[in-house]
Amino acid sequence: MASVAGGSLILFSTESAQPEIDVAALVEMYSRLLFRVAHSVLRSRVEAEDVVQDLFVRVIERRRSLHAIRNMRVWLVRIAWNLALDRRRRIRPEQIDESFAESLTASTLPADERLFEAERMKAVLREMERLPRAERRVLLLSAIEELGTAEIAQVLGRSESAIRALVFRARTRLRERLEARGGLR
Amino acid sequence: MKNSEEAIGKVLAGLRDSEASPDLERRILAVIEERASRPSVATSRWAWSVALAGMVAACLFFAITAAYRHEHPSTQARRSAVPADSLSANRPEKETQIASLLPHEPIAPIKTVAPERKANPINTEDAVLLREMRAPSHPAPVAPLTNEEKLLLRAVHLGDPQVTAMLDPEERARQDVESEAEFQKFVEQSGKDVQESNQTTE
Repeated sequence: MASVAGGSLILFSTESAQPEIDVAALVEMYSRLLFRVAHSVLRSRVEAEDVVQDLFVRVIERRRSLHAIRNMRVWLVRIAWNLALDRRRRIRPEQIDESFAESLTASTLPADERLFEAERMKAVLREMERLPRAERRVLLLSAIEELGTAEIAQVLGRSESAIRALVFRARTRLRERLEARGGLR
Repeated sequence: MKNSEEAIGKVLAGLRDSEASPDLERRILAVIEERASRPSVATSRWAWSVALAGMVAACLFFAITAAYRHEHPSTQARRSAVPADSLSANRPEKETQIASLLPHEPIAPIKTVAPERKANPINTEDAVLLREMRAPSHPAPVAPLTNEEKLLLRAVHLGDPQVTAMLDPEERARQDVESEAEFQKFVEQSGKDVQESNQTTE
Protein backbone atom coordinates (compact mmCIF):
# COMPACT_ATOMS: atom_id res chain seq x y z
CA MET A 1 0.00 0.00 0.00
CA ALA A 2 1.08 3.56 -0.52
CA SER A 3 0.31 6.77 1.26
CA VAL A 4 1.32 10.31 0.51
CA ALA A 5 2.08 12.12 3.71
CA GLY A 6 3.96 15.38 3.95
CA GLY A 7 5.02 15.18 0.33
CA SER A 8 6.59 11.75 0.68
CA LEU A 9 5.39 8.47 -0.64
CA ILE A 10 5.83 5.79 1.97
CA LEU A 11 5.20 2.18 1.17
CA PHE A 12 3.72 -0.11 3.77
CA SER A 13 3.97 -3.83 3.93
CA THR A 14 0.54 -5.44 4.11
CA GLU A 15 1.77 -8.06 6.56
CA SER A 16 3.48 -5.96 9.16
CA ALA A 17 2.05 -2.46 8.51
CA GLN A 18 5.57 -1.17 9.02
CA PRO A 19 6.96 1.46 6.66
CA GLU A 20 9.15 -0.35 4.15
CA ILE A 21 10.82 2.40 2.21
CA ASP A 22 10.24 6.02 1.32
CA VAL A 23 10.17 5.95 -2.45
CA ALA A 24 9.64 9.68 -2.73
CA ALA A 25 12.87 10.17 -0.81
CA LEU A 26 14.58 7.77 -3.19
CA VAL A 27 13.29 9.78 -6.15
CA GLU A 28 14.47 13.04 -4.66
CA MET A 29 17.83 11.65 -3.67
CA TYR A 30 18.77 9.63 -6.72
CA SER A 31 16.75 10.69 -9.76
CA ARG A 32 19.37 13.25 -10.94
CA LEU A 33 22.25 10.81 -10.51
CA LEU A 34 20.32 8.05 -12.26
CA PHE A 35 19.44 10.43 -15.05
CA ARG A 36 23.14 11.17 -15.63
CA VAL A 37 23.99 7.47 -15.57
CA ALA A 38 21.35 6.77 -18.20
CA HIS A 39 22.31 9.86 -20.16
CA SER A 40 25.97 8.83 -20.33
CA VAL A 41 24.86 5.74 -22.24
CA LEU A 42 21.99 7.17 -24.26
CA ARG A 43 23.10 10.80 -24.76
CA SER A 44 19.44 11.78 -25.03
CA ARG A 45 17.55 13.63 -22.33
CA VAL A 46 14.17 12.18 -23.27
CA GLU A 47 15.42 8.61 -23.39
CA ALA A 48 17.33 8.99 -20.13
CA GLU A 49 14.29 10.40 -18.34
CA ASP A 50 12.22 7.50 -19.60
CA VAL A 51 14.78 5.11 -18.19
CA VAL A 52 14.64 6.76 -14.76
CA GLN A 53 10.86 6.65 -14.74
CA ASP A 54 10.89 3.00 -15.81
CA LEU A 55 13.38 2.25 -13.07
CA PHE A 56 11.20 3.68 -10.30
CA VAL A 57 8.16 1.87 -11.67
CA ARG A 58 10.13 -1.35 -11.32
CA VAL A 59 11.12 -0.37 -7.82
CA ILE A 60 7.49 0.15 -6.84
CA GLU A 61 6.52 -3.20 -8.35
CA ARG A 62 9.17 -5.01 -6.34
CA ARG A 63 8.69 -3.00 -3.19
CA ARG A 64 8.35 -6.06 -0.95
CA SER A 65 11.91 -7.15 -1.63
CA LEU A 66 13.52 -3.74 -1.23
CA HIS A 67 14.40 -4.27 2.42
CA ALA A 68 16.88 -6.97 1.38
CA ILE A 69 18.99 -4.53 -0.65
CA ARG A 70 22.15 -3.54 1.22
CA ASN A 71 23.39 -0.67 -0.91
CA MET A 72 20.42 1.07 -2.46
CA ARG A 73 22.51 3.65 -4.33
CA VAL A 74 24.67 1.09 -6.11
CA TRP A 75 21.66 -1.11 -6.79
CA LEU A 76 19.75 1.74 -8.41
CA VAL A 77 22.76 2.83 -10.47
CA ARG A 78 23.22 -0.71 -11.70
CA ILE A 79 19.57 -0.97 -12.75
CA ALA A 80 19.71 2.40 -14.50
CA TRP A 81 22.88 1.34 -16.27
CA ASN A 82 21.40 -1.93 -17.49
CA LEU A 83 18.11 -0.36 -18.53
CA ALA A 84 19.99 2.30 -20.48
CA LEU A 85 22.10 -0.32 -22.25
CA ASP A 86 18.95 -2.24 -23.18
CA ARG A 87 17.33 0.90 -24.49
CA ARG A 88 20.38 1.88 -26.52
CA ARG A 89 20.13 -1.40 -28.41
CA ARG A 90 16.60 -0.50 -29.48
CA ILE A 91 17.19 3.07 -30.63
CA ARG A 92 19.41 4.51 -33.40
CA PRO A 93 22.39 5.83 -31.42
CA GLU A 94 24.13 7.47 -34.38
CA GLN A 95 21.43 10.10 -34.82
CA ILE A 96 21.27 10.73 -31.08
CA ASP A 97 25.04 11.11 -30.83
CA GLU A 98 24.94 13.58 -33.68
CA SER A 99 22.45 15.85 -31.95
CA PHE A 100 24.33 15.50 -28.66
CA ALA A 101 27.58 16.48 -30.36
CA GLU A 102 25.88 19.54 -31.80
CA SER A 103 24.57 20.46 -28.37
CA LEU A 104 28.14 20.46 -27.05
CA THR A 105 29.27 23.21 -29.40
CA ALA A 106 29.05 26.76 -28.20
CA SER A 107 26.29 28.78 -29.82
CA THR A 108 28.50 31.87 -29.83
CA LEU A 109 30.89 30.37 -32.37
CA PRO A 110 30.59 31.17 -36.07
CA ALA A 111 28.70 28.59 -38.14
CA ASP A 112 31.76 27.03 -39.82
CA GLU A 113 33.58 26.66 -36.50
CA ARG A 114 30.49 25.20 -34.91
CA LEU A 115 30.33 22.64 -37.70
CA PHE A 116 33.97 21.76 -37.22
CA GLU A 117 33.56 21.50 -33.46
CA ALA A 118 30.50 19.28 -33.83
CA GLU A 119 32.50 16.99 -36.12
CA ARG A 120 35.23 16.73 -33.49
CA MET A 121 32.71 15.80 -30.81
CA LYS A 122 31.09 13.24 -33.08
CA ALA A 123 34.49 11.69 -33.76
CA VAL A 124 35.16 11.39 -30.02
CA LEU A 125 31.77 9.77 -29.40
CA ARG A 126 32.29 7.41 -32.33
CA GLU A 127 35.69 6.31 -31.09
CA MET A 128 34.34 6.00 -27.59
CA GLU A 129 31.80 3.49 -28.85
CA ARG A 130 34.59 1.53 -30.55
CA LEU A 131 36.52 1.07 -27.33
CA PRO A 132 36.53 -2.37 -25.70
CA ARG A 133 33.35 -2.82 -23.72
CA ALA A 134 34.88 -2.78 -20.25
CA GLU A 135 36.94 0.34 -21.01
CA ARG A 136 34.00 2.14 -22.54
CA ARG A 137 31.75 1.43 -19.57
CA VAL A 138 34.33 2.50 -17.04
CA LEU A 139 35.07 5.68 -18.97
CA LEU A 140 31.39 6.62 -19.17
CA LEU A 141 30.75 5.94 -15.50
CA SER A 142 33.89 7.81 -14.47
CA ALA A 143 32.49 10.87 -16.21
CA ILE A 144 29.74 11.05 -13.60
CA GLU A 145 31.04 13.19 -10.81
CA GLU A 146 28.90 11.69 -8.06
CA LEU A 147 30.28 8.21 -8.60
CA GLY A 148 33.59 7.35 -6.99
CA THR A 149 35.92 4.57 -7.99
CA ALA A 150 34.59 2.29 -5.25
CA GLU A 151 30.99 2.68 -6.43
CA ILE A 152 31.92 2.15 -10.07
CA ALA A 153 33.72 -1.00 -8.98
CA GLN A 154 30.59 -2.20 -7.19
CA VAL A 155 28.33 -1.38 -10.14
CA LEU A 156 30.52 -3.22 -12.62
CA GLY A 157 31.58 -5.99 -10.25
CA ARG A 158 35.31 -5.30 -10.47
CA SER A 159 38.04 -4.24 -8.09
CA GLU A 160 38.92 -0.60 -7.60
CA SER A 161 42.42 -1.11 -9.01
CA ALA A 162 40.94 -2.70 -12.10
CA ILE A 163 38.66 0.31 -12.53
CA ARG A 164 41.59 2.72 -12.26
CA ALA A 165 43.57 0.72 -14.78
CA LEU A 166 40.61 0.54 -17.16
CA VAL A 167 40.05 4.29 -16.98
CA PHE A 168 43.69 4.95 -17.77
CA ARG A 169 43.72 2.46 -20.63
CA ALA A 170 40.48 3.79 -22.05
CA ARG A 171 41.65 7.39 -22.13
CA THR A 172 45.01 6.42 -23.61
CA ARG A 173 43.47 4.25 -26.29
CA LEU A 174 40.88 6.85 -27.15
CA ARG A 175 43.49 9.57 -27.45
CA GLU A 176 45.72 7.41 -29.61
CA ARG A 177 42.92 6.50 -31.95
CA LEU A 178 41.77 10.07 -32.31
CA GLU A 179 45.32 11.19 -33.12
CA ALA A 180 45.73 8.32 -35.54
CA ARG A 181 42.63 9.46 -37.38
CA GLY A 182 44.24 12.89 -37.73
CA GLY A 183 40.91 14.59 -37.65
CA LEU A 184 41.46 16.46 -34.44
CA ARG A 185 43.91 19.18 -35.18
CA MET B 1 47.65 15.41 -28.34
CA LYS B 2 46.34 18.44 -26.60
CA ASN B 3 43.50 18.72 -29.06
CA SER B 4 42.33 15.15 -28.57
CA GLU B 5 42.61 15.41 -24.78
CA GLU B 6 40.61 18.59 -24.91
CA ALA B 7 37.92 16.98 -27.08
CA ILE B 8 37.66 13.95 -24.81
CA GLY B 9 37.42 16.20 -21.78
CA LYS B 10 34.71 18.26 -23.44
CA VAL B 11 32.60 15.23 -24.28
CA LEU B 12 32.97 13.80 -20.78
CA ALA B 13 32.11 17.16 -19.28
CA GLY B 14 29.04 17.30 -21.47
CA LEU B 15 27.95 13.94 -20.14
CA ARG B 16 28.72 15.01 -16.57
CA ASP B 17 26.85 18.30 -16.75
CA SER B 18 23.72 16.97 -18.41
CA GLU B 19 20.61 18.07 -16.56
CA ALA B 20 17.21 16.47 -16.47
CA SER B 21 13.94 18.35 -16.87
CA PRO B 22 12.92 20.29 -13.77
CA ASP B 23 9.66 18.34 -13.49
CA LEU B 24 11.28 14.92 -13.73
CA GLU B 25 10.78 14.10 -10.06
CA ARG B 26 7.17 15.25 -10.06
CA ARG B 27 6.41 13.14 -13.11
CA ILE B 28 8.06 10.07 -11.59
CA LEU B 29 6.20 10.53 -8.31
CA ALA B 30 2.88 10.81 -10.13
CA VAL B 31 3.59 7.63 -12.07
CA ILE B 32 4.71 5.57 -9.10
CA GLU B 33 1.82 6.80 -6.98
CA GLU B 34 -0.54 5.58 -9.66
CA ARG B 35 1.32 2.28 -9.90
CA ALA B 36 1.44 1.80 -6.14
CA SER B 37 -2.35 1.77 -5.99
CA ARG B 38 -2.39 -1.25 -8.29
CA PRO B 39 -1.82 -4.73 -6.91
CA SER B 40 1.80 -5.70 -7.09
CA VAL B 41 3.20 -8.29 -9.47
CA ALA B 42 3.76 -10.71 -6.62
CA THR B 43 0.16 -10.34 -5.41
CA SER B 44 -1.29 -10.91 -8.84
CA ARG B 45 1.00 -13.90 -9.37
CA TRP B 46 -0.10 -15.31 -6.02
CA ALA B 47 -3.76 -14.83 -6.94
CA TRP B 48 -3.25 -16.54 -10.27
CA SER B 49 -1.46 -19.48 -8.70
CA VAL B 50 -4.21 -19.90 -6.08
CA ALA B 51 -6.87 -19.86 -8.81
CA LEU B 52 -4.91 -22.36 -10.85
CA ALA B 53 -4.41 -24.65 -7.87
CA GLY B 54 -8.14 -24.50 -7.15
CA MET B 55 -8.99 -25.45 -10.70
CA VAL B 56 -6.56 -28.36 -10.64
CA ALA B 57 -7.98 -29.58 -7.31
CA ALA B 58 -11.54 -29.41 -8.68
CA CYS B 59 -10.56 -31.33 -11.81
CA LEU B 60 -8.83 -33.99 -9.73
CA PHE B 61 -11.87 -34.32 -7.46
CA PHE B 62 -14.23 -34.81 -10.38
CA ALA B 63 -11.87 -37.24 -12.08
CA ILE B 64 -11.51 -39.35 -8.92
CA THR B 65 -15.27 -39.31 -8.33
CA ALA B 66 -15.97 -40.36 -11.91
CA ALA B 67 -13.39 -43.16 -11.72
CA TYR B 68 -14.87 -44.42 -8.46
CA ARG B 69 -18.40 -44.44 -9.88
CA HIS B 70 -17.17 -46.23 -12.97
CA GLU B 71 -15.51 -48.93 -10.90
CA HIS B 72 -18.44 -49.43 -8.50
CA PRO B 73 -21.62 -49.20 -10.58
CA SER B 74 -23.20 -52.32 -8.99
CA THR B 75 -22.92 -50.88 -5.50
CA GLN B 76 -24.63 -47.71 -6.62
CA ALA B 77 -27.29 -49.64 -8.49
CA ARG B 78 -27.87 -51.91 -5.52
CA ARG B 79 -28.28 -48.95 -3.26
CA SER B 80 -30.79 -47.34 -5.55
CA ALA B 81 -32.58 -50.63 -6.15
CA VAL B 82 -33.22 -51.30 -2.49
CA PRO B 83 -36.69 -49.90 -1.65
CA ALA B 84 -37.08 -47.54 1.21
CA ASP B 85 -39.60 -49.80 2.89
CA SER B 86 -37.15 -52.63 3.13
CA LEU B 87 -34.63 -50.31 4.70
CA SER B 88 -37.07 -49.22 7.30
CA ALA B 89 -38.09 -52.80 7.85
CA ASN B 90 -34.53 -53.75 8.59
CA ARG B 91 -34.13 -51.18 11.30
CA PRO B 92 -33.89 -52.59 14.74
CA GLU B 93 -37.12 -52.67 16.64
CA LYS B 94 -35.52 -50.68 19.41
CA GLU B 95 -35.36 -47.60 17.22
CA THR B 96 -39.01 -47.95 16.24
CA GLN B 97 -39.98 -48.18 19.85
CA ILE B 98 -38.02 -45.05 20.70
CA ALA B 99 -39.56 -43.21 17.79
CA SER B 100 -43.07 -44.10 18.93
CA LEU B 101 -42.33 -42.77 22.39
CA LEU B 102 -41.03 -39.42 21.12
CA PRO B 103 -43.21 -36.47 20.16
CA HIS B 104 -43.58 -35.73 16.44
CA GLU B 105 -41.10 -32.85 16.50
CA PRO B 106 -38.25 -33.66 18.83
CA ILE B 107 -36.48 -30.66 20.40
CA ALA B 108 -33.08 -32.23 20.17
CA PRO B 109 -31.86 -35.14 18.09
CA ILE B 110 -31.75 -38.36 20.00
CA LYS B 111 -28.59 -40.30 19.75
CA THR B 112 -29.19 -43.96 19.19
CA VAL B 113 -26.63 -46.59 19.71
CA ALA B 114 -25.70 -48.11 16.39
CA PRO B 115 -25.98 -51.90 16.23
CA GLU B 116 -22.71 -53.62 16.58
CA ARG B 117 -21.20 -54.56 13.26
CA LYS B 118 -20.64 -58.20 12.53
CA ALA B 119 -17.15 -59.22 11.77
CA ASN B 120 -17.13 -59.72 8.03
CA PRO B 121 -13.69 -60.45 6.66
CA ILE B 122 -14.95 -60.60 3.05
CA ASN B 123 -16.47 -57.49 1.65
CA THR B 124 -19.33 -57.41 -0.84
CA GLU B 125 -17.19 -57.13 -3.90
CA ASP B 126 -15.03 -60.08 -2.92
CA ALA B 127 -18.11 -62.16 -2.14
CA VAL B 128 -19.49 -61.56 -5.63
CA LEU B 129 -16.19 -62.53 -7.18
CA LEU B 130 -15.96 -65.68 -5.06
CA ARG B 131 -19.52 -66.69 -5.91
CA GLU B 132 -18.86 -66.30 -9.60
CA MET B 133 -15.62 -68.23 -9.29
CA ARG B 134 -17.22 -71.12 -7.43
CA ALA B 135 -20.27 -71.42 -9.70
CA PRO B 136 -20.47 -74.77 -11.66
CA SER B 137 -19.57 -74.58 -15.28
CA HIS B 138 -22.08 -75.79 -17.91
CA PRO B 139 -21.53 -76.92 -21.50
CA ALA B 140 -22.23 -74.31 -24.00
CA PRO B 141 -25.68 -74.49 -25.64
CA VAL B 142 -25.96 -75.71 -29.23
CA ALA B 143 -25.19 -72.81 -31.39
CA PRO B 144 -26.66 -72.35 -34.85
CA LEU B 145 -24.33 -72.80 -37.80
CA THR B 146 -22.26 -69.88 -38.67
CA ASN B 147 -22.14 -68.51 -42.20
CA GLU B 148 -18.78 -70.14 -42.72
CA GLU B 149 -20.07 -73.52 -41.63
CA LYS B 150 -23.04 -73.19 -43.97
CA LEU B 151 -20.72 -72.33 -46.85
CA LEU B 152 -18.55 -75.33 -46.06
CA LEU B 153 -21.55 -77.62 -46.10
CA ARG B 154 -22.64 -76.21 -49.45
CA ALA B 155 -19.15 -76.72 -50.90
CA VAL B 156 -18.83 -80.31 -49.72
CA HIS B 157 -22.30 -81.42 -50.77
CA LEU B 158 -22.76 -80.35 -54.35
CA GLY B 159 -26.25 -81.77 -54.74
CA ASP B 160 -25.14 -84.98 -56.48
CA PRO B 161 -28.19 -87.28 -56.20
CA GLN B 162 -26.05 -90.31 -55.54
CA VAL B 163 -24.11 -88.56 -52.84
CA THR B 164 -27.31 -87.12 -51.41
CA ALA B 165 -28.81 -90.58 -51.47
CA MET B 166 -25.79 -91.99 -49.71
CA LEU B 167 -26.25 -89.50 -46.99
CA ASP B 168 -29.80 -90.77 -46.39
CA PRO B 169 -29.55 -93.87 -44.12
CA GLU B 170 -32.77 -95.49 -45.45
CA GLU B 171 -31.74 -95.06 -49.06
CA ARG B 172 -28.31 -96.33 -48.24
CA ALA B 173 -29.76 -99.47 -46.56
CA ARG B 174 -32.03 -100.09 -49.55
CA GLN B 175 -29.09 -99.82 -51.95
CA ASP B 176 -27.07 -102.16 -49.77
CA VAL B 177 -29.90 -104.72 -49.89
CA GLU B 178 -30.18 -104.40 -53.67
CA SER B 179 -26.47 -104.79 -54.24
CA GLU B 180 -26.44 -107.81 -51.93
CA ALA B 181 -29.32 -109.36 -53.80
CA GLU B 182 -27.63 -108.63 -57.10
CA PHE B 183 -24.46 -110.24 -55.87
CA GLN B 184 -26.35 -113.33 -54.71
CA LYS B 185 -28.10 -113.50 -58.03
CA PHE B 186 -24.79 -113.28 -59.81
CA VAL B 187 -23.29 -116.00 -57.65
CA GLU B 188 -26.28 -118.31 -58.18
CA GLN B 189 -26.27 -117.66 -61.91
CA SER B 190 -22.59 -118.38 -62.20
CA GLY B 191 -23.08 -121.60 -60.18
CA LYS B 192 -25.81 -122.79 -62.56
CA ASP B 193 -23.64 -122.02 -65.58
CA VAL B 194 -20.81 -124.14 -64.16
CA GLN B 195 -23.14 -127.14 -63.55
CA GLU B 196 -24.53 -126.96 -67.11
CA SER B 197 -21.10 -126.91 -68.65
CA ASN B 198 -20.06 -130.00 -66.58
CA GLN B 199 -23.09 -131.90 -67.70
CA THR B 200 -22.42 -131.17 -71.35
CA THR B 201 -18.83 -132.34 -71.11
CA GLU B 202 -19.85 -135.59 -69.42
